Amino acid sequence: MMDKKTLLENGLLEQYLLGELNAKECEQVEQLLASDTELKAHFDQLEQDFETLGLENAITPPPSVKSQLLEHIASSSTKATKVVELNQNNNIKFYLGIAASVAALLMIGSFWMYSQLNTVKQQLETVETNNTELNTTIEVLNKELEQTNTFYTAIVNPDTEQYILEGNDLLPEAKVVSYVNHKNKSVVINTERLPKLDDEHDYQMWADVEGEMINMGVIAKDKTLMTMAYIDHAESLNITIEPAGGNDHPTVEKLVTNVYLN
Amino acid sequence: MMDEQHLIFGKSLTLMQNDSTLIQQLKNKDERALSLLYDKYSGSIYSVILKMIRDEGKAQNLLQDTFMTVWDKAENYDAEKGRFYTWVYRIAKNKTLNMLRKSDPLIQTDDFSVHNNKEDAISIEPEYLELNGAVTTLEAHHKEAIELVYFKGLTHREAHQEMNVPLGTFKSYVRQALKQLKITYAKTLSLILLILNAL
Repeated sequence: MMDKKTLLENGLLEQYLLGELNAKECEQVEQLLASDTELKAHFDQLEQDFETLGLENAITPPPSVKSQLLEHIASSSTKATKVVELNQNNNIKFYLGIAASVAALLMIGSFWMYSQLNTVKQQLETVETNNTELNTTIEVLNKELEQTNTFYTAIVNPDTEQYILEGNDLLPEAKVVSYVNHKNKSVVINTERLPKLDDEHDYQMWADVEGEMINMGVIAKDKTLMTMAYIDHAESLNITIEPAGGNDHPTVEKLVTNVYLN
Repeated sequence: MMDEQHLIFGKSLTLMQNDSTLIQQLKNKDERALSLLYDKYSGSIYSVILKMIRDEGKAQNLLQDTFMTVWDKAENYDAEKGRFYTWVYRIAKNKTLNMLRKSDPLIQTDDFSVHNNKEDAISIEPEYLELNGAVTTLEAHHKEAIELVYFKGLTHREAHQEMNVPLGTFKSYVRQALKQLKITYAKTLSLILLILNAL
């Protein structure tokens, strides 16, 4: 059995370093080195000194040796690459799996996108319908506003005269306010206080010009403010009850109210 | 002489730093790591092979062969058991000794006869056989002992017969020589450390 002392005295450490020992001796030296840190430190020093000795005596080899070496290794690693490529064939299933998963995800994604697109289309249609409705409403409102403005300007115009037609005995609760502008030649009436008639009858308005009654128009049932025809040289305004749709000549017995203009 | 040693030591110090990383990369078949380790160690190894085989063409083949083995067997290297250089040195030495034995089959069985034909080997610049550095400052017989075992690849057994001294005496030559080298290198190292500290 080898011990530290014989190891040092017989120069076995040096011979071990130089690779002179057989396998069994090597093993014994390695065991001692592993168990003895002092010995290991000594061996480390020895190795370092041998390495320095080698470095001091280095002779640079021709560069061709290195290039050949690297070429050799490159070609052998190409072979290794070929083996890897074969393995890659085995991996095709794996990559196919990945590809299939990606495709499936894409399909699901597309389907989802499609359904989303349909929903959005429907929403867009609703919005468009709403928009049209709103536009119509706005148009209607605009028209009404225009009308109202027309009435308003007509009524508040300083040239406008106001005549009130009070109901006679036939229709005592009736009251129609008329706004007549002789300059603009316009007539606007407020029929808010005119009692409702059945479907077979309408109120009709007449102007009296030198004894002749001239039609000013049928009073609409669904409006409270409306424009009537202006008749030149009218002496009075008269309202009669006529069959629905109006009459060519007034039914005098059905005169419900009148007012004189001067 | 001292300046040259500083240079070499400085170089080896900087090179030492990345060794374990490089070796790990070598084990992972990184060609760049092999290239760098080759740059670092090929000079020392080539010198040993040349001095052993005394033929530049053969030495170059052996050097390439050595590093091919380093590449192929890198996973066998165990940093716990010794320095990377020592490992490469042993590979190179074995390959060279095998080559020497093959080239002279007649005397193959003779223990140390592989070196007896050294006078025949020619194709080499004489300066390649000369030693440099701290080893030249040793006493002649110490220097020769180192040269025989380290650069010529003789075993202790072969070398003591070559020098014609008892094995025990030869061993003490080697030990003395190494002690002297260690002192010289330690001095150089401390000098460098001093210079490095001063910087």
